[in-house]
Amino acid sequence: MGPRVAVVAAVVVAACALVTASTLAAVAQEGRDLFVESCASCHASDGSGTEYGPDITDAGEAAADFQLRTGRMPLADPSDQSVRKDPAFDEQEIKDLVAFVGTLGSGPEIPAVDAESGDLQEGQRLFVDNCAACHGATANGGAAGVGALAPSLFEASSLEIAEAIVTGPGEMPVFAFDIDERNAIVRFIRYLQEEEAPGGADIGGIGPVPEGFVGWTVGMLSLGLVCWLVGSRAKRSGDPGA
Amino acid sequence: MRAERVVAFCFAASAVASLGLLVVYAVGGDAQLEGLLLGIALGGLGVGVLVWARRLLHEDETTEARPPLGSSDAAMERTTDALEDEEVSRRSLLVRMLLGAGGSLAAALAIPALSLGPRPGQSLFRTEWTRGKRLVDVDGNPLRPEMVRAGAVQTVFPEGQVGVADAQTLLLRVDPDDLQLPEGREDWAPEGVVGYSKICTHAGCPVGLYRAQSHELLCPCHQSTFDVLRGAVPTFGPADRPLPQLPIEVDSDGYLVASGDFSEPVGPGFWNLPQ
Amino acid sequence: MNVRVLGWFDDRLGIATTARRGLRKVFPDHWSFLLGEIALFCFVILVATGTFLTLFYRPDAAEVVYQGPYAPLQGREVSAAYESVMRISFEVRAGLVMRQIHHWAALVFVAAVVVHAMRIFFTGAFRKPRELNWLIGVVLLILALGAGFTGYSLPDDLLSGTGLRIAYSVLISVPFVGPYLAFLAFGGEFPTSGIISRLFVMHVMLLPALMIGLIVAHLAILWRQKHAQFAGGRATETNVVGKPFWPGQVFKSVGLLLVTGSVLAFMGGLIQINPVWDYGPFNPTVVSAPAQPDWYIGWLEGALRLFPPLDIEIFGILIPSPFIPGVVIPGIAFGLMALWPFVEARMTGDSEPHHLLDRPRDVPFRTGIGVAALIFFLLLTLAGGNDVMAIMFDVQVEAVTNVLRIGVIVLPALGGLIAHRMAVQLQSSAPSTPARRVRLRRNPEGGFDED
Repeated sequence: MGPRVAVVAAVVVAACALVTASTLAAVAQEGRDLFVESCASCHASDGSGTEYGPDITDAGEAAADFQLRTGRMPLADPSDQSVRKDPAFDEQEIKDLVAFVGTLGSGPEIPAVDAESGDLQEGQRLFVDNCAACHGATANGGAAGVGALAPSLFEASSLEIAEAIVTGPGEMPVFAFDIDERNAIVRFIRYLQEEEAPGGADIGGIGPVPEGFVGWTVGMLSLGLVCWLVGSRAKRSGDPGA
Repeated sequence: MRAERVVAFCFAASAVASLGLLVVYAVGGDAQLEGLLLGIALGGLGVGVLVWARRLLHEDETTEARPPLGSSDAAMERTTDALEDEEVSRRSLLVRMLLGAGGSLAAALAIPALSLGPRPGQSLFRTEWTRGKRLVDVDGNPLRPEMVRAGAVQTVFPEGQVGVADAQTLLLRVDPDDLQLPEGREDWAPEGVVGYSKICTHAGCPVGLYRAQSHELLCPCHQSTFDVLRGAVPTFGPADRPLPQLPIEVDSDGYLVASGDFSEPVGPGFWNLPQ
Repeated sequence: MNVRVLGWFDDRLGIATTARRGLRKVFPDHWSFLLGEIALFCFVILVATGTFLTLFYRPDAAEVVYQGPYAPLQGREVSAAYESVMRISFEVRAGLVMRQIHHWAALVFVAAVVVHAMRIFFTGAFRKPRELNWLIGVVLLILALGAGFTGYSLPDDLLSGTGLRIAYSVLISVPFVGPYLAFLAFGGEFPTSGIISRLFVMHVMLLPALMIGLIVAHLAILWRQKHAQFAGGRATETNVVGKPFWPGQVFKSVGLLLVTGSVLAFMGGLIQINPVWDYGPFNPTVVSAPAQPDWYIGWLEGALRLFPPLDIEIFGILIPSPFIPGVVIPGIAFGLMALWPFVEARMTGDSEPHHLLDRPRDVPFRTGIGVAALIFFLLLTLAGGNDVMAIMFDVQVEAVTNVLRIGVIVLPALGGLIAHRMAVQLQSSAPSTPARRVRLRRNPEGGFDED
């Protein structure tokens, strides 16, 4: 390659970088404005946190995307546990905010996720080992005590699951899985979401509590009713031998 | 004769359902259809019989006598007389020896039940962890401190003994400045990497839940809660003793190893657990 | 035709007269007397479906590789016991419906025993001469709990295995002999490979044999003593008023058996229960949530959850906190329940035989105590699912636990007192003696005499 080609290449690369940087800057500017408007009151305008919200400088794009996409943030009352809601922002606004938060520090990027390539069996093993204790064996959710409801995963998309694994939102721990392990878990959770209960009506999928309830109400109550219909209902009250 | 028609219909429905069951069986079976058809087959027969009983049978209320259950004194005397025999009641020595021999036989047959299980010995007091054993994850990979992330939790085992129940250990990283470990454990958590037994000290379930922000381990069985920053001391629930802590250090190759066995015997308490 | 068949047996057994007496035997026919039959028929269905399952189940803890159609577990090493239950659920024709009928039948069986026991208790049917049958009933209830617990532990899945771990820990907590008892029962330190086959022997052979024997005794005693009856109409202490055994009672009982089977069949096919494939095979280093036992063990689980963190030390001997809720409380509960006929006889000074039943309102103190006991067990059972309630009502699980801790002490007493009060009130507002109706006849003096 001649020196002239090298110069042209350098100019082209510089131009691309300039365009990218300025696009990002524009996006980040959009994001900054949104951030100041909706997030800074709790997280401070540089993300370093206030008494109402934690330091999110190293939360990363992954955390921002997760929180915004699932509507957990913005959170009206900081003392509540954040739960899934309709997102407060549209897709473009989310992208802008995410880009901005990404510039605040060195947190994780939005993870790549490919549910189809995940190993289903590996996913089952990883899920039971790491997730079932809080989210339940069938991902129907569980109670982890004070302000720590581990939600049902039935509405979670593959991306949201991967982001939660990587960022450990709220009381959820962070999990250091590699991409294959993450894809496996996502694949398994998708399987649970789509699984049809082979035994009939899935009465909550949380085990013996609803089963006992149904046993009493459907089983015992109906059979008790049959006894009542079949036997004599005369409850005589009177003298013996009258 | 409406009742008769109802009964006939029930029996007919039952027969049809039974045939349907055979068809379902022949084509490979389906749990919902099997339950539905079996329910109709049994229910048709049952309801038919019950309607027959309630509507078609005409039975008047009848009475029968209820003589007292106790027998007359004379009858009791005849029975006790029949039981007594001099050659049995008089032979008190033989009777006593019979009872003694019977008791000995019962003991000889019953006491070997002790072979059903080994003596506990020291099993409840010790685990597989010894000084120098490397900590490995469930795939058997040894761990360096930098591989343990803040806010994460994982289950680790002694090297070569992955899956051994009494050695299961929870490995976490916390900020060393926040750690308030009991006396004598100042160097049990290098860089804030701390290890506790995963076996709940209440009733032995694996303590599977970790509240990362509050640094609390929660057992799902009976909700015992343990404070990671203060030596896994229980803060809620029926557990009364902290999770035993595993002393950890970093070996010369930079891997996490145990410095010894847990601080106390793991798992639920027993009568001679040292206090 | 009847005569010929009967004749064949009569020539050999001489049963004609006994048979006639049996066919004409009078049974009072109040509907609440049928509740015990529901329990009996659930037991019959348990034996029938259980026999089917035993043909396919392998009580073996040895590891095999799962190769069946449930995709997430393919290639996984699981115990042969777990694999056989997966095979029954996914590969044996009618296997899943038989398994589910069996499990639903177990839940309804214990519910029916409890409801039946409540009827016996609140009507005073346990009084002399029926104390023996009451004792047999209490033992049957305990055996039913044992059969249920051993049964749902057989699949060796993650949920039931966790329950076994808890049972092992409760055994260990017994002072002096705890570790020995636990190692004896399990064959070593938890987890052991021998426990599955031992549970199998208990569940399939020993417990059913004991239960069948006791049920036969229970029915034989009932037949011999004749059924008790409510007062009123022509009923007295020295007669039995009702309908003859044949054909009415036989038809009703047969019909009830079939309807019980029908309800259980509907449930077994249409409502999923114990999906062991979702829990996965047992692994002693892992647990899933929520973790509950079947409902009839729930009161023990609730006691374990509610009991405060009190490891008691006496003269250097540690009494770990699971001991009192896990061993002492059920011991007292069943002991009191078993001894109740004798306790009440002592308290009331009444040791007469009774064949006429009480209305609950007529014995306020017994009714109050019974209601208090029921509330106590109900609250403990609810406490067993405190985390599920926390999710359902969106409250903290700690709050649920603390409320129940207080409730379980206050509410039974409160409820018992209210029930007592209500019974006394009902007594005075509805006299148990309505106006007598008499026939009058004119006498020669011009007055009236009773006819």
